[in-house]
Amino acid sequence: MDNFQKRFLEEAIDLINDLEKASLALDANQSDKGIIEEIFRIMHSLKGGSAMFGFVKADHFTHNLESVFDLVRKGKIPVDDNIITITFSSIDLLKALFNENEDLAESVLPDVEKLVVVMKNIVGATAVNTGSIAAKPAANQNETIGKRKCFYVLFKPQASLFKNGTNPLYLTDELCSLGTCFVFPRLNEIPAWASMDPTSAYIWWDILIEGDISHDQVKDVFIFVEDYCQLKIEELKVSGLSQKTELLEKYKTQAINVETLTIELASNKEQETEDTNKQRKVVNGIKNLKEINNNNSIRVDSSKIDKMMNLVSELITTQARLSLFSETIDSPELSAVTENMQKLSKQLRDTAFSISLIPLQHLVTRFQRLVRDVAAEIKKDVAFETEGTETTELDRSIIDSLNEPIMHILRNSLDHGLETSEERVRKGKSPQGKILMKAFYSGTYVYIQLIDDGAGIDPERIRAKAVANGIISADAVLTQKEIYNLVFMAGFSTAAVVTDLSGRGVGMDVVRRKITDIRGEVEIDSKVDVGTTITIKIPLTLSIVDGLLVEIDSHNFIFPLSSVDKIYAVDHKQMSDFSQLVTLEGERIPYYNLSYEFTGVAKEVDVEQIVVVRFENQKVGIVIDKVLGEYQAVLKPLGKLYRNQDFISGASILGDGSLALVADPNKIIKKFANN
Amino acid sequence: MSTDNKKNLNSFLSFKLGDEIYAANVSKVLNILEMVKITPVPKSPSYMKGVINLRGTVLPVIDTRIKFGMSATEFKTNTCILVLDVIVDNESLMVGALADSVQEVLEIAPEQILPPPNIGSKFRTEFISGMFKLNDEQFIMLLDMDKIFTSDELSHMAESSTLDAVLE
Repeated sequence: MDNFQKRFLEEAIDLINDLEKASLALDANQSDKGIIEEIFRIMHSLKGGSAMFGFVKADHFTHNLESVFDLVRKGKIPVDDNIITITFSSIDLLKALFNENEDLAESVLPDVEKLVVVMKNIVGATAVNTGSIAAKPAANQNETIGKRKCFYVLFKPQASLFKNGTNPLYLTDELCSLGTCFVFPRLNEIPAWASMDPTSAYIWWDILIEGDISHDQVKDVFIFVEDYCQLKIEELKVSGLSQKTELLEKYKTQAINVETLTIELASNKEQETEDTNKQRKVVNGIKNLKEINNNNSIRVDSSKIDKMMNLVSELITTQARLSLFSETIDSPELSAVTENMQKLSKQLRDTAFSISLIPLQHLVTRFQRLVRDVAAEIKKDVAFETEGTETTELDRSIIDSLNEPIMHILRNSLDHGLETSEERVRKGKSPQGKILMKAFYSGTYVYIQLIDDGAGIDPERIRAKAVANGIISADAVLTQKEIYNLVFMAGFSTAAVVTDLSGRGVGMDVVRRKITDIRGEVEIDSKVDVGTTITIKIPLTLSIVDGLLVEIDSHNFIFPLSSVDKIYAVDHKQMSDFSQLVTLEGERIPYYNLSYEFTGVAKEVDVEQIVVVRFENQKVGIVIDKVLGEYQAVLKPLGKLYRNQDFISGASILGDGSLALVADPNKIIKKFANN
Repeated sequence: MSTDNKKNLNSFLSFKLGDEIYAANVSKVLNILEMVKITPVPKSPSYMKGVINLRGTVLPVIDTRIKFGMSATEFKTNTCILVLDVIVDNESLMVGALADSVQEVLEIAPEQILPPPNIGSKFRTEFISGMFKLNDEQFIMLLDMDKIFTSDELSHMAESSTLDAVLE
């Protein structure tokens, strides 16, 4: 596969994704003409591209698909579930066809052929239908004429047109297939026989076309020759061309001048003209938007972004060293420069960060598709809604690792959570089930919630199942939350019947493992017959945190500033060593002395420093030796040798080159609370 | 290139742990560092000394002596850190190993390598891939660095870390 083909493959994948998005939009709003046009446009580009880059199979396939949608946009076929299903199957096949793995492309060919036959049938059937429509009384035709548009096309190829292998007659043929067409070839530029070059194009055309067509459609016909010809397409604000036979007769010999033609053909339909103008403005508006989008984004290899992020991290570390160094030298110039550097590197950091973030919306198309397909398969009526997915951004690598767990959760909701329409009506709910995917920021975490309004999970059933599976003993005392957490245990599944989708008991523990891999957490909350909410909590960034630098046992530690509530200095006498509780501002809160927990040696100090953090909605104190200050920490992983020390999320290099460990207060508390 | 590789395969870096001389294939040794301050990681097994800053990356350091069943390394002028490239679960991993002192690079032909001792050693021998007799007077133990960090060892580590926690 050569370079151009590869480039086109990338483009094709983008186009297919756009196509999928548009198709989902069409599914939701089947009468939206704008979306149909958009779909047609994407298909057209796909077809043009695959033909140009030698993807013969894909070209053939998209051509048929395009034919179907051509009929759809002309209103000859209504958009129905059948069309949508065909579109989605086509998208899947296209994904396989435009793949670097050629074996995969080969393997789907039989399916492609099958679908092509289906599409050809649709197109064939419609051809018959239109035949019968045409036979209807003329009165009916007159009604439709009101919506028809009339275009004047001047097509004057350059002399070199034939050298590109273009046959202009095909273009006029294609134009004729769009509507009623009057083609006037102009031979006046053909030179004398002796000086004529048979490989050059001399003939040009005046064409009048009338039909239920748009400016773009006419233009599309000439899309590949645009650069090789003089092309003028003008909408004539007239109608009923075919009735003006004398005029047409006249133009056989006389070149068309648009102004006079308009006057000659004019009929008073100003109302309509205004409407079309408005429409065109809207269309232009949409186009402008698209162009802006295209111009403002570039494709960048993700490895380049990773490299940039690494460099920025290095820069910040070096910056910290510079700041430290400049403090030791009494030079106003140096400190001014250092301060400026600090500002700049902070801005650079934020910008670099925002580059590597992509909106969660990126995944939504896939989920919408999954919900649609699965719901259709198991015959449930389900609406999938999203909230905040466009504004919530996450690191690309995190987004990728979220795909699988969310898919699992959605499948579970669809399969077990949501009831069938009959059952829902019986329970007094609306017949259509709902899954809401809600994303929002809170502190340095991103929350993603998947909320369904289905049957919910009965804690008693989970309990019974866990006892039966030997996960807990029959007399174990568990809180509601703990019971729900059992769902995440390996080998746990409450589904009575194992289905294709879920119920094998491999789902939720995989979900939890995948989320933990990216340092996230997942929780279930449910109410019987009200619904289930699954909340995923993920750290916003994996690499740079604003932290609080502290000293414990003469080593440096960093706590993420976001998790720190307040810092207190407390007289040791106020603390109860026995109950491990301290009273702060009238509130008794538990505390852990990290110096003691880490070394096992209790120190005698008069005044203790307590950092209060939030842990599962309650305050917990962490006793440390000394607070050193605020620090911007570039987080570096400790590596797999330290994977059992998961309460340390990484290390950060301090200005003097030494290391400070970045602690995760939540996990520290969990660890020592269990001991 | 191929000659270089071959030379690499036969070159071993020897170092001392206590009185014993050990050697690791030079292809495994990326770097030799002077002793720097090691930041300990709480609640980790005793032979995992902590982490150091190796030109911007965080390098875990193990106390090879504890790992081999000897007493903990005492930090002296000759104490140094060997930066090793080991394979753990099919993944390349950088790790620092403490050594009492580094000796020299030896060329050892495969036929000069003797099989490892199977009984009577007071240290853990499963990491030893062979023996070499230096100047007909002292034995050098050739180490299989990858084995020291196999997943068996890692899971063993998990156990010992909880054990450590209990002991503390």
